[in-house]
Amino acid sequence: MKTIVVGMGNPVLTDDGVGMEVARQVRQAGNSDSDAEVVELCAGGLRIMEAVAGYDRAILVDAMTTGNWVPGTVRRLRMEEARLTRNGSCIHDTGLVEALEIGRLAGVRVPDDVRIVGIEVEDATTFGETLTAAVAAAVPEAVACVLELMRAKGGDHDEHRRVLLQLRN
Amino acid sequence: MKRITIDPITRLEGHGKIEIFLNDDGGVGNVYFQIPELRGFEQFCVGRQAEDLPVITSRICGVCPEAHLLAGVKALDDLFQVEPPPAAKKLRELFYSAFYVTDHTTHFYALGGPDFIVGPDAPASERNILGVVRKVGLDIGKQVIECRSRNHDIIRMLGGRGIHPTGALPGGWSKCIVEEERKTIEAAARKNIDFAQFSLKIFHDIVLGNKAYVDLILSDVYLHRTHSMGTVDAHNRVNFYDGKVRVVDTDGRELMKYPPRDYAAHIAERVEPWTYLKFPYLKAIGWKGFTDGNDSGVYAATPLTRLNVSDCMATPKAQEHFDEFYTTLGSKKVNGRYTPVHYRLATHWARLIELLTAAERMLELAMDPEITSPNVRTIPSGTIRKDGGIGSVEAPRGTLTHHYEADERGVITRVNLIVGTTNNYAAISMSLRKAAEKLIVKGQLIKEGLLNKIEMAFRLYDPCFSCATHALPGQMPLRVIVRDAAGREVETLVRD
Repeated sequence: MKTIVVGMGNPVLTDDGVGMEVARQVRQAGNSDSDAEVVELCAGGLRIMEAVAGYDRAILVDAMTTGNWVPGTVRRLRMEEARLTRNGSCIHDTGLVEALEIGRLAGVRVPDDVRIVGIEVEDATTFGETLTAAVAAAVPEAVACVLELMRAKGGDHDEHRRVLLQLRN
Repeated sequence: MKRITIDPITRLEGHGKIEIFLNDDGGVGNVYFQIPELRGFEQFCVGRQAEDLPVITSRICGVCPEAHLLAGVKALDDLFQVEPPPAAKKLRELFYSAFYVTDHTTHFYALGGPDFIVGPDAPASERNILGVVRKVGLDIGKQVIECRSRNHDIIRMLGGRGIHPTGALPGGWSKCIVEEERKTIEAAARKNIDFAQFSLKIFHDIVLGNKAYVDLILSDVYLHRTHSMGTVDAHNRVNFYDGKVRVVDTDGRELMKYPPRDYAAHIAERVEPWTYLKFPYLKAIGWKGFTDGNDSGVYAATPLTRLNVSDCMATPKAQEHFDEFYTTLGSKKVNGRYTPVHYRLATHWARLIELLTAAERMLELAMDPEITSPNVRTIPSGTIRKDGGIGSVEAPRGTLTHHYEADERGVITRVNLIVGTTNNYAAISMSLRKAAEKLIVKGQLIKEGLLNKIEMAFRLYDPCFSCATHALPGQMPLRVIVRDAAGREVETLVRD
């Protein structure tokens, strides 16, 4: 199963860089069992669809500023929760679910299996290249979460299909 | 007094907030549009090597890094007092043309266009690119994706990387192109021209062919007579990469034309107590408040105003549409040039004309015999300019100026950016106010379409909050809250 891991965010906006940091560590931890590609991406929406084109499975890692959880909380999100993350949607084009659907309709081979790992962050409004303590401490858990998703055989496609069906109706 | 707040549903990214205060008569008193503050940009840059700035500033925004990269590298050309060879300038402009095609295409089909193609009163869940495909057909979705893809390939080829390209260097460009690459670019440019013409045809058929939409464009809700700003070449024609900044008044008379270096002599910034973001205005006129007209210092810098400041287009096919644009929208020719159009919704049409001229310019540059020249870099050898380096380009969302000051070692001591959206902050605030005035009568809220009519007012500017705030926001769901005099929530309108 061809898998891509996408670390999202802004590496110069303190905790907004956490998705990229997780992606970098996943790349370092990568082993021969996995043929996963690991990339970094700074804008969401259609850019994500284009980045994951051609893969069977995509794992997106992004910061969250929901205020619902304490900083450093790592969550696996469902597709309909995609908008909880900072960079999944793009204010200049479209949301993640819509972006994947337009790709699919246009004949782009986008993954059936899309997973999202969100990390609640503390500060994504100050310029800086260092994660805050709570978020830095959460990186190993997020990396482990991504590696576990990468190791899983096959995927639970039903969830994504269900969301797309809702969208079509 | 009623207080109406349009607020994001959650504390998600970008949380811009619109607050509408009603006066005692139930009319609109004040409208405030706030964008959250981002801290520490200046401190982040100070102390770094100047040559790192174009790449750092292009990190501000995941959507328009190409604009920041080029404004930044032009500021470095100026700071290091180095003149890039002609082929390097052409490669930069070629790269920028490909970027313009993707950016304007994406805006029209995914963001601005759905209001017209799907309809301004359609549910928000349908006013997106999927709705466009349902209305116009699946083929259009394929074409948009192919257009983005082929131009991203060109950006990657020329810029070294697809996202956050690195090709720009002070004094030129990091690599030249070979004939085979040139042919690929030429082929892409030809497809871009076809696609731009096709997009203009859709606009004709669906928007101009529908009286209700034409009436909406011509309606008073979206009419603002402000000064227009844009960059023009030596013949006063639209240019995105280089030239002089020209400002014309509401009747089309040239107020000023200056090299980007002189921006501080012409543009001042107004501070208001309710927002940290500053409002640029024309120094020569002064700040007279959020008002229209020749006596106001407020200007705008958008696709519409870029056409307004230009006497004509630099490419032939775009020129045909330019003529049609002004004659259709009731402009007269005075002293050999069209009087400005002030219907803000016409910005969408202007953007498509810019899409076409970017595509045509891309082909011209791809056919230029000098484009494959290996001479693409002048190594900086002069001293650091003591009064700083200034560079500007026309970003898709308005004139973008980078200003860097550095010590004699080239270490940054001060940074100032005026970004496209910042130029338009006063104009956006005024557009929101006008939309609110039409939708709130004697304290009664016309709920139907309120959110979208207000959103349409700022969507036409395609404001980039990431650039304006130096942040990186995503989607911005909105909530309108109506509060009574005691601050109790009496009504909530939600769009997620």
